[in-house]
Amino acid sequence: MVMSETVSKHKLFKTINERQLMKNIILVGKPNSGKSLLFNQMTGMRQKVANFPGVTVELKSGQLGQHQLVDFPGTYSLKSLSKDEELAIEKIHEAMHNPKTALVVCNLDATRLESSLVFGLQVRDLALQHNKGVIFALNMIDEVQRFGHQIDTKQLSKDLGCAVFALSAKTLIGLQEFKQALLDAVEHAEDFIPATTTEPEQAVLENSRSLSKRYGIKADVVLKRQNRIDDFLLNSLFGGLIFLLIMFLLFQSIFTWASPLMDAVEIALAEAASVVSSSLPDGMVNDFVTDALFGGVGSFLVFVPQIMVLTFVIGLLEDTGYLARAALICHKPLSYFGLSGRSFIPYLSGHACAIPAIMAARTIESPRKRLITMMTIPLMSCSARLPVYALLIAVLIPDVQYLGGVVNLQGITFFVLYFIGIVTALLVSVLLNKMTDLNKDKADMPFILELPTYRLPHWKPLIHRILTSAKQFIRRAGPVIFMVSVVIWVLGYFPQNGELQSSYLAMLGQWIEPIFEPLGLDWRYGVAILVSFLAREVFVGALGTLFGMENADENISGLAANIQTDGLALGAGIGLMLFYVVALQCVATVATLKGETGSRKIAWGLFLGYGFLAYCLAWLCASFI
Amino acid sequence: MTLWEIKKKQTALVDGLDPTLVPAVLQRLNEMGFASGQGIKCLRRSPLRGPIVLQLGDCVYSLEQNIANRINISLS
Repeated sequence: MVMSETVSKHKLFKTINERQLMKNIILVGKPNSGKSLLFNQMTGMRQKVANFPGVTVELKSGQLGQHQLVDFPGTYSLKSLSKDEELAIEKIHEAMHNPKTALVVCNLDATRLESSLVFGLQVRDLALQHNKGVIFALNMIDEVQRFGHQIDTKQLSKDLGCAVFALSAKTLIGLQEFKQALLDAVEHAEDFIPATTTEPEQAVLENSRSLSKRYGIKADVVLKRQNRIDDFLLNSLFGGLIFLLIMFLLFQSIFTWASPLMDAVEIALAEAASVVSSSLPDGMVNDFVTDALFGGVGSFLVFVPQIMVLTFVIGLLEDTGYLARAALICHKPLSYFGLSGRSFIPYLSGHACAIPAIMAARTIESPRKRLITMMTIPLMSCSARLPVYALLIAVLIPDVQYLGGVVNLQGITFFVLYFIGIVTALLVSVLLNKMTDLNKDKADMPFILELPTYRLPHWKPLIHRILTSAKQFIRRAGPVIFMVSVVIWVLGYFPQNGELQSSYLAMLGQWIEPIFEPLGLDWRYGVAILVSFLAREVFVGALGTLFGMENADENISGLAANIQTDGLALGAGIGLMLFYVVALQCVATVATLKGETGSRKIAWGLFLGYGFLAYCLAWLCASFI
Repeated sequence: MTLWEIKKKQTALVDGLDPTLVPAVLQRLNEMGFASGQGIKCLRRSPLRGPIVLQLGDCVYSLEQNIANRINISLS
């Protein structure tokens, strides 16, 4: 007892000591300058990500020796242009004030000295004001060497008044030395305080220009390959075709490549459920575990692989540099609806799942356009709607082929439902745009986009991104889904253990029947709709249970036949489909919207607004078809 | 003339920025290199009056009409 106490005290002191000794090294730099790869190479696979709700600012930190390397978001300047930049810059200022910060590492793109030095010099001057040491990492030196160019780092270091290390995070040139140099420098950080500063009469821009003229490569040489690829990818005709092809492949990847992985998760969960349920005695606990935990929470884990595949493909497009081109191509068409070219990617991701899509809207420069994009993302037909569409189409639409089997009526209906979602989103955008104050428009941020160099993506940051996306998805949506599953399960289970037809849920269903009657739907649909507010795909399972079918999820055609015999009017059915296109039936999305907009009012307002619109559309169809 | 009027493959020098621009935008454009005397090359014009693509310093930027027509240039 005494022994263990001494040991734990010793441990405690040790950790306190380590904490006191541990210093922060902050890593800053321009976007697209190879900074995240440098961070990943320096810190290995273990990273912590700190998110700040409502904004895009994300600080990643990882271990470097006994110290901590903190990766700051890429910024063009220390003077902000958007809300998110403002916060990122505020965090840099905070770090400069923090006594734990020992060193500032500024990452420079060696192939584009001029533009990366503008920010670099600003950071150097700021660090000098706070008496912090600065080290410049002259990244991508391998590319400079490939162009047959040499950079005199010694002289550059003299001119900058700071230590400069030439390295390549990609080919690992100079990385080991750099790591060691950083660890040594932390110990005597005062030696690294900049020796020069930008003269007041000499603007940062001019200073960086003259430095880049002396040391850098000629811009035309660096940009030659990039401009040649752009001639093709941004060509008015080919560019558009390639864009469509890439989008087609992206869709394919979300639905085709992800499905084996999704099936695997489903099978694994089913296996786990059967093992757990057979080891538990029959009864309430067993029912709870199988239905609420594996049934409710499990159904949401199935979407994790899809989100990972989507993050992978989008990450690939971003890291190669194509995403900026896609935003450029889409900017004009989307601006007719009050959106930005950067709204395109979130819309696209929304077809897999609204949650990562809403997070992807962070890249939109204008706060207003970002808000409008986030608010309309839930109208994209996400994959949770797929089983619902599949069931209702099987019930209502005859399996008719046209043009010798090339075109299928059911397939067309699928496409039309997706299309209605997109059109509604664009119309709502126009409306939201009209509603927001027009005077704000003048202060709105214009579309200024840098077209980065085309690069072969490195797997490390990509893998990190994929894992983070999965983690964030689970962490954000998981708790809500868990709680709602438990509540719904309790309501559906009691008072007569497991008899859904006589449960509180069914009572509730009969009680709310008047709401769904005008839509031509009876209480069973009402309950299924109600429980699908947890997650849309629950609709199919719930309806299956209510129609007395086991495993309705896997056997949509059997359930469809059951519903057909039971009778579902065409108007009511089409209304139900439209209801699912429009309604925001996803607690996790509402939670994400609340987090990302920072407003409970917007999130629940959208929930009510889309619910009302969906109801009206369903009512119109039920009444007039 | 303004930057919006430049044609593909033309080069020009920046004369100055519209001083009524929001200070933050003005500052950023300046840092990007839109300063008097800087050389610009138009790489591409997009259909439907979409964003213009240009080379400035060691970067390629894309700007939409409402900002490009507030940057004054003279052809070189």
